[in-house]
Amino acid sequence: MEPWLATGLIYASALALAAGGLTLLYIATRTFNFAHASMATVGFYVVYSGCVLIGGNPYIYFPLAFLVGGLLGVICYYGLNRPLLRRGAAEITLMMSTLGYDLILLSLIQMYADYLTFSMQLFPRRVNMNVYDFKLLGENAATIILPILAIVFLTGLHLFLVKTRFGVAMRATIEKPVLAGASGINSDRVYLVAWLIGGGMAALGGAAMSMAVTGTPVLGMNSISFMFAGAILGGLHSLYGGILGGFVVGLAEYAGVFYLSQLFGTWVLGYRMAIPLLLMAVTLLIFPRGLAGIPWTALYNGLVGKKGGAKA
Amino acid sequence: MLKINNLNSGYGKLQVLYDLSIEIPEKEITVVVGPNGAGKTTLLCSIMGITNVFSGEVLFNGDSLKNLPTYLLARKGISYVPQMGNVFADLSVRDNLQMAGYLLPVAEARKKAQEMTEIFPVLKRFIDRKAATLSGGERRMLAIAMGLMKNPKLMLLDELSTDLAPIIAEKVILEVARLRDELGITILMVEQLAKRALEIGDKAYLLVSGGVKFAGEARDLLSEPELCSLYLGIKKPAAAQIVPLTEGSR
Amino acid sequence: MKTQNTIIEKMLKSRLFNNSEILVTIAILIFLTFFLISHGVPMILTILIDFAVFAIVTMSLNLETGLTGIPQFGRVLAVIAGAFAVGAIPGRIMAAFMGLPFGADYTQDIIQFQIAPEITATLSASWVLSLLFFLLCLVVAAVSGAVIGWLTSRPAIRLKEAYLGISLLAFGDFFMWVGHNWAPLVGGSTSVFVPDPFRIFGEARFEAVVIVIFLAAMLVYVYLNRLASSPFGRTLKMVRDNEISASAAGKDVTKIRTQSLVIGSILAAIAGGLYVIYTGTVTATGYSRLVWTFWPWAFMMLGGIGSTTGVLLGVMVLTIMRTIITVYRFEIFGFLMEWGINPLWLEFTLMGAVIVGVILFLPHGLVPEKVQSILPAKRLERVLAKNNDLYNRNTVQ
Repeated sequence: MEPWLATGLIYASALALAAGGLTLLYIATRTFNFAHASMATVGFYVVYSGCVLIGGNPYIYFPLAFLVGGLLGVICYYGLNRPLLRRGAAEITLMMSTLGYDLILLSLIQMYADYLTFSMQLFPRRVNMNVYDFKLLGENAATIILPILAIVFLTGLHLFLVKTRFGVAMRATIEKPVLAGASGINSDRVYLVAWLIGGGMAALGGAAMSMAVTGTPVLGMNSISFMFAGAILGGLHSLYGGILGGFVVGLAEYAGVFYLSQLFGTWVLGYRMAIPLLLMAVTLLIFPRGLAGIPWTALYNGLVGKKGGAKA
Repeated sequence: MLKINNLNSGYGKLQVLYDLSIEIPEKEITVVVGPNGAGKTTLLCSIMGITNVFSGEVLFNGDSLKNLPTYLLARKGISYVPQMGNVFADLSVRDNLQMAGYLLPVAEARKKAQEMTEIFPVLKRFIDRKAATLSGGERRMLAIAMGLMKNPKLMLLDELSTDLAPIIAEKVILEVARLRDELGITILMVEQLAKRALEIGDKAYLLVSGGVKFAGEARDLLSEPELCSLYLGIKKPAAAQIVPLTEGSR
Repeated sequence: MKTQNTIIEKMLKSRLFNNSEILVTIAILIFLTFFLISHGVPMILTILIDFAVFAIVTMSLNLETGLTGIPQFGRVLAVIAGAFAVGAIPGRIMAAFMGLPFGADYTQDIIQFQIAPEITATLSASWVLSLLFFLLCLVVAAVSGAVIGWLTSRPAIRLKEAYLGISLLAFGDFFMWVGHNWAPLVGGSTSVFVPDPFRIFGEARFEAVVIVIFLAAMLVYVYLNRLASSPFGRTLKMVRDNEISASAAGKDVTKIRTQSLVIGSILAAIAGGLYVIYTGTVTATGYSRLVWTFWPWAFMMLGGIGSTTGVLLGVMVLTIMRTIITVYRFEIFGFLMEWGINPLWLEFTLMGAVIVGVILFLPHGLVPEKVQSILPAKRLERVLAKNNDLYNRNTVQ
């Protein structure tokens, strides 16, 4: 496989998870979670710590990363988000509060990195996770395992939201909080679970991303713009849009840089940021409903020759 | 069962209800009628804690409902069927009914959902379709079914008859009367079909510009020719007729 | 009617400085004296210059966010524009005059090491030249700031709130990447020296820089304070508080936002330029959004969004706290070093905690925005007394 595609698939899967989590948190609580950055970095460090301190391949620590990320999300909900939601805080305020939380988490991550460096004689500030990986079908296992992992997780999430009672209740609360409340659904619990899943997805995204790019304490900080780009491309009103948006942004970045550098030379590499930015700008200015605004069902029906089937 | 004392409420800084006092007796149907903009929906929203209550109290069996989150009201046994936003558009009809029965044990919820599809066969046909694809009238029937599913102590109904064909509207009104008679549910209903509602109702309040213009027995309001023609569009308030319960049922 | 009562009451009660401002100022003076005693004048000077630069940046942020209501999460962009402009242009102009290389290779290491000291030597020979060079730097910074301000106003027309904030953030990031990768601009991953117009002061160079920049900050303070209470300032607040009614009153909301952004960006760019002159170098990666967007947000929130005086207090309080962490990191936080942890990270913890703390417990900051009085309190009283009848009749008891 082409090297750019091999890495690109991993990176795109990571962004899909992260952007999906961002979107979920936004549609549930109107909060743009800045702390997604550090939650992602934490996910990376959980997997890294597992590999260097205990051993084994990275993938066995991904579930743990999810749980830790979820825990960070829950803390954010109880400590920050819920009090502010109860006060009817504006979106900007909600976002700023997560920024503060992100800075605190960042400082803790940096201190942890210091600790690992000094007390454990490790090098956690520039990590190449591929050394802990193994080979599968001639590629780094990550290229095959991570997209599959992402698909499995997202399928599980989908089933949760569609087949379980609480999952349906979550969708109901997100769509119409008042009606859901009138039905007796406890919105507090819904938001709690949203933060659990959102934080967990951020951590999974960070752990996955570390298999594609160098792992640093600012891994999340550096990619937060791309995560936002993916969420915005998705349209910010549908979880599935966010997931797809993240994936498209990630793949477009790698594919774009590869093909553009073929055309114009390697200097293009420095401007890889322009691609997600462009996608984001196009979405905001031309297409505000994003990918999720595209009438997929109608398109599909049109393609397979069915007539519009709203009312029988 | 429900007592509202000196309620002043509205949306944001806009005041809609002025010093409103209303009493809803148990196991009876209390009808609230009045012209558009009178504050009827605001009244229901104030009870459910959805709008801005400036002052006054709302007491449910003596307990204050102030500042309680909506889901706790549902758990106290208050069921609310709004006029707008009363179904989950993105969910299937089946899921909508499942959500309506959220507080019931799963088996009972399933049974009640089954009953609902018997009462409203159109729901059975569309059971797996997203609620957003239903027509206006079908959606309203789903909303009513959702409201009926809960086994509530008190039901707040906001203009149930909107969007319904007259035959179905009649069916629905009779169903509401049945809820009071056979199940002993207390009902507070806001209605535009004033005449029919007052015929099956026990108590009535006429709301105009955020204040009460009439409070008393429903049949008494029907025999007030001035009020009826001025605010309710009832030209010839006939003597109220007690409607037989088993007429034209499901 | 009830609202009207409270506003008039507030106007009557308004004094020049209210209680919390006085308390905080006293606390600041105490700390500064303490630093003076323990570490001497150089420490005070460092604090002052840190304060001055960030004060200008934060005041510019306050203009755009506090007064006009635009969520400026891309503040670093204007600062970078000023910094890069001062790094890229004035030196080149001098080099061109002096017959030295000024093209793409200006930024190469070897060439830099030669020409930079030469240019500085030339400057320090002439007061006029130094002054002109300094002014050139300011002009160049201001122009690049204006351009950036205009560019950022374009998304601000269509986008709102959090969307706008994120877009501005992303633009800032992008510009930094460009600077990092496009070597001819400011040397990419290496840095560029900036000729020093203050070298002419010789031994007193540092003191001179501090004084000049501090004065600049005070000028900006006076300017923005007057702007805030001017008709233009009131218009800004109108646009912030209720865009629709501002529009209905005939204000061109887009134009006003653009003006605000341009002025704010010019000021931030000047701050960036001044900072570069102070440090003498420009490194593309040295301007992170953490320090140049998020820190100013924390300063502004602590001080009180919308209040220019509050901004100054916020910047000073946090600058002092950051200095404490830096200077006393061994004494207070030394125990962390047992595990190899660098106490400087606590600066991040501090800023994060400040943001969280302010949002949760002190949402209006140390100095809440004052209700603006149209007339001085005494005259207001007289006017009201004269029209007591009218006043009483119009209020609902």
